Amino acid sequence: MGVTRTLLLALVMSTVAALGHAPVANADDSEAAMKAHAAQDEAERAARWKDLRHEIFGARSLGDGAGVIQIAAPEHALDAALVPVTLTMKAAQPIKGVYLVIDNNPAPLASHFTFGPRADPRILKLRVRVNMYTYMHAVAETADGKLFVAQQFIKTSGGCSAPVGSDDAAAMKDMGLMKLHILGNFAAGKPVQAQLMIRHPNFNGMQMDQITRTFTPPRFIRSIDASYDGEAVFHLDSDISLSTDPVITFGFVPDKKGTMQLVVRDSKDVSFNHSFDVPAA
Amino acid sequence: MARFLRGRLRHGGVVLALWWPLLAAAAGAHVAEPAGYWMGPTRGPVATTVKGGKVIHTRELAALLKADDVMVVDVSDAPKRPDHMAAGAVWLPVPHPVIPGGVWIPGAGLGAIPPAIDKLFRERLAMGTHKDPTHELVIYCHESCWLSWNAAKRAISYGYKSVYWFPDGMEGWRGAGLPTVVAEPQVALPKL
Repeated sequence: MGVTRTLLLALVMSTVAALGHAPVANADDSEAAMKAHAAQDEAERAARWKDLRHEIFGARSLGDGAGVIQIAAPEHALDAALVPVTLTMKAAQPIKGVYLVIDNNPAPLASHFTFGPRADPRILKLRVRVNMYTYMHAVAETADGKLFVAQQFIKTSGGCSAPVGSDDAAAMKDMGLMKLHILGNFAAGKPVQAQLMIRHPNFNGMQMDQITRTFTPPRFIRSIDASYDGEAVFHLDSDISLSTDPVITFGFVPDKKGTMQLVVRDSKDVSFNHSFDVPAA
Repeated sequence: MARFLRGRLRHGGVVLALWWPLLAAAAGAHVAEPAGYWMGPTRGPVATTVKGGKVIHTRELAALLKADDVMVVDVSDAPKRPDHMAAGAVWLPVPHPVIPGGVWIPGAGLGAIPPAIDKLFRERLAMGTHKDPTHELVIYCHESCWLSWNAAKRAISYGYKSVYWFPDGMEGWRGAGLPTVVAEPQVALPKL
């Protein structure tokens, strides 16, 4: 299957190339060549998304996300290793979960959130690594099992190999430490947002230690569970696309003063647990 | 020439907006050629020369490839699937585009090259140049990427006399609307 896809893409690329760039010597003088180049890029991107949606969602249909899900990220992010993404959801049906796909990353499914009964699934913010110019697709799943998609194009690259810090020891220090900030005023029964900060290098295996000049072994967060007084807020499956020291903003509905419990598991099967009083004591 | 420049400037404008390291370059920072291999972060402002080799840009390269039998080597990184990803996690790197006829040898531009890759690089160059040290060689990766600079320097150290370093990289090549083909990384020598 992978080979078929590669061959198909190769065919698309070479066909478009052949159509658009026959006179190679003049190519960079030619407006037509530039246009053909853009068309080639778009054709590749469309083929890529077709492959990915099949890989992730199989034959399920994806509806237009307008009115259900929005994705916002800076088109020209300054730091490819720290691209902020905001997902905004609104639907007649309750939102069951949200997928974030960074098409051209080698592990494209950056995050899959599933919401629990204590969630306010209207907003999610996170920071991700982007390896090359890419579309990002955000897909919301409603309680009736329908999928809705929104997309945005991002022009930044190099996020995978961007170093984590001056050295690995510093990046590993305080691993698993967490902070939780309640954004806005707490009121029992009212939705409120919280910002979760986690100390974790989220090494992806493609970063080089700046001192030893060797590739740092991968170690990344695979899941995060947030619950409020024992009731689920969200479960997140993630991997190497999450930025170093992840910061995740989410909404929840506290029925009363209580405790937010976080469980973070990483690729070494180490669990980090923290509980926070809400509102803060 | 004016049209050529306009194209270059437009491309350069996009690049400046995207690549914060280049803001330093735009502000007048020049990176001098290091005496040995570049050991710093691979992406960032690069040198403008490589001792013992020639620098070539997109238009000249397109013309050279039409006119001569040239070996083209891409030394971009290849993504590696990290251990311990979830069982069902999607791992699907984008098909890797190269300049038509190009050979992709990831790792050949590392500052400290593992012996196995050094051996592969030497052997692959010998094959592509028919063991002729005067055979023309073009080495590239991405724009603002030291890997190709290192690999060009390495090829020169092997004794190649006609080494071109193409610092515009794949971004420059595609930005000029030139064709590419999909390649697999060279991990071992092809059987003859």
